[in-house]
Amino acid sequence: MADRVERLTNLLALLLETRRPLTLIEISDELAGQYPDTAQARRAAFERDKAALREIGVEISSETFGGDRAGEMGYWVDRRAFELPELHLDDDEIRALQVALATTRPDSAIGEEALWKLGGTSGDVGGPVRMHLPELESLPALRTAVSSRHVVSFHYGGAAREVEPWGLLLREGFWYLLAHDRGRSAKRTFRVDRIEGAIAIDSTATFDRPPGIDLSAALPSDPLLIGADNAEVRNAMVRISAQFAGRVEREVGAGRVVRRESNGSIIVELPFVNEDALRSWVLGFLDAAELLEPIDVRERLVAWLGEVV
Amino acid sequence: MAQQPATERLRRLLIILPWLMERGEVAVSEVAERFRIDESSLIRDLELVSLCGLPPYVDELVDVFIDEGTIFVGVPRLFTRPLTLNQVEAFELLAAGRAAMQLPGADPDGPLGRGLRKLAQGLGEDDTGVLVIQPTPETMKALSDAAKMRRRVQVLYDSHGDGEPSTREIEPHQVFSSKGRWYVNAFDSRTNEVRTFRVDRVLSSSDVGAASSQPSSAAAVDDWFADGALERVTLDIGPRGRWVTERYPVDEVSDVEENGWVRVRLAVSNDRWLERLLVRLGPHVRVVEPTRFATLGSTAARRVLERYQPSA
Repeated sequence: MADRVERLTNLLALLLETRRPLTLIEISDELAGQYPDTAQARRAAFERDKAALREIGVEISSETFGGDRAGEMGYWVDRRAFELPELHLDDDEIRALQVALATTRPDSAIGEEALWKLGGTSGDVGGPVRMHLPELESLPALRTAVSSRHVVSFHYGGAAREVEPWGLLLREGFWYLLAHDRGRSAKRTFRVDRIEGAIAIDSTATFDRPPGIDLSAALPSDPLLIGADNAEVRNAMVRISAQFAGRVEREVGAGRVVRRESNGSIIVELPFVNEDALRSWVLGFLDAAELLEPIDVRERLVAWLGEVV
Repeated sequence: MAQQPATERLRRLLIILPWLMERGEVAVSEVAERFRIDESSLIRDLELVSLCGLPPYVDELVDVFIDEGTIFVGVPRLFTRPLTLNQVEAFELLAAGRAAMQLPGADPDGPLGRGLRKLAQGLGEDDTGVLVIQPTPETMKALSDAAKMRRRVQVLYDSHGDGEPSTREIEPHQVFSSKGRWYVNAFDSRTNEVRTFRVDRVLSSSDVGAASSQPSSAAAVDDWFADGALERVTLDIGPRGRWVTERYPVDEVSDVEENGWVRVRLAVSNDRWLERLLVRLGPHVRVVEPTRFATLGSTAARRVLERYQPSA
């Protein structure tokens, strides 16, 4: 039997060149002697070849004939969907993508093939900076859904969700999906690595993304403000001892310093939503910080410590 | 030699053929090296496709012949363009590009920014939906420049994050991020060892001359904390403390026989660090071993409590 690569190449060429959809009978006539003679074996071999081409990334289009050939299927490959469009990338732009991949994904076989397709190569161009990008199997499909505005379903927090994906955001080492949750009729942010099980993408259901979505504002940059949507923002007062005063002032900004004390301590005012995050931040300084207000949060912090000693 | 699966060989051919057709004449060795394929497999597969054809419908698919170590391409007909990027490849390029745009000195109108825009336009996609935010500390640029130029720098380093920085001289080898944080691997002239420093704790950096140490082959970025030299602690952590396993590199996580509690083993960079971790976890953590850490958290908590209840 001929090498399978030969049959696959011939099949691909035929389906690319044809000007009209071809039936399986026509295909096996053209590829004389390359498909089995019996209908059942021929069909099975053809289905295997279709799957092989799909695995490579070639989509085979099909349609059902009408008229006197009603019920028969015709196949072809759409050249526009098959070929990489002309991207007009300059050499320095390809090189910049190569450096970006070497910096963030030094050993990616996928990235290497992508660069080959663009006419570049991979290679040792990363230099001494390495930025680790967390890898998750569902990301490429989610990005496609974001880009083509397809509705996505998955399980999260033990519940089934159907969402309109608005964007993907990588921050602090985690990927987040910003979406409109259809079941809850509200904007929600999901940690992609916490999505449970498989993601289903419905390519027949599309949606309109509201204009002016600001992904960068989807997650507050301040961890103290991460919390349930629409939760009340409160203000905390924290006294920071001199040894950390400089660092905290740099971190939160001089505008948050409401008092400077003679011993070098400062008092900062911080808006917060998430009490756990606030307590954790304050306790990170051990006895070099003291939460002054709100008084109820202070009391719970004292009780928290009391449980430990 | 075991033959590669047919799909793998065809996929490789669909990448190599358009590249060959653009050039017309290339040495076998050059193609083999560029596309990481051994020469005999390359020749076999090219000879195979040159025999493909469906006369009279499609006569000669690929006009290629090989002579004396050189590949010659005749009239290009089919397979003149590469297969389009699949969604995984497109994501890989886009995410890498977006991430690299966060590094110091990246310019939206520079080659990377332009390349990313052309990519999105060419693929007809709206990629405004992917964003990477990774702030870089102020000293990041100075440290990565020092690593690139092989320089020695004097830094002010706040090693315990306790506001008591010390001065030391280091030779940066590699700057890397892990879990959203930046680190630098550097030769530390005080200890004569390569150590890992947190970039956000390097408060200042100034050039003091050429580096004398040789960067060793770069350690895999993800494994850096697997440093066996650091002491380990085993903790039982409740559900409300699960963030620890996400924030810090852990050796092991296993379930314990209780509602949602897990047993975690992780490296202790220093006692101060563990003290802070235990106080922040409060009632949601128990130290399993070693025993010398058993009362670390409660002692620290008592000290903090004194600040809140001075009279107690």
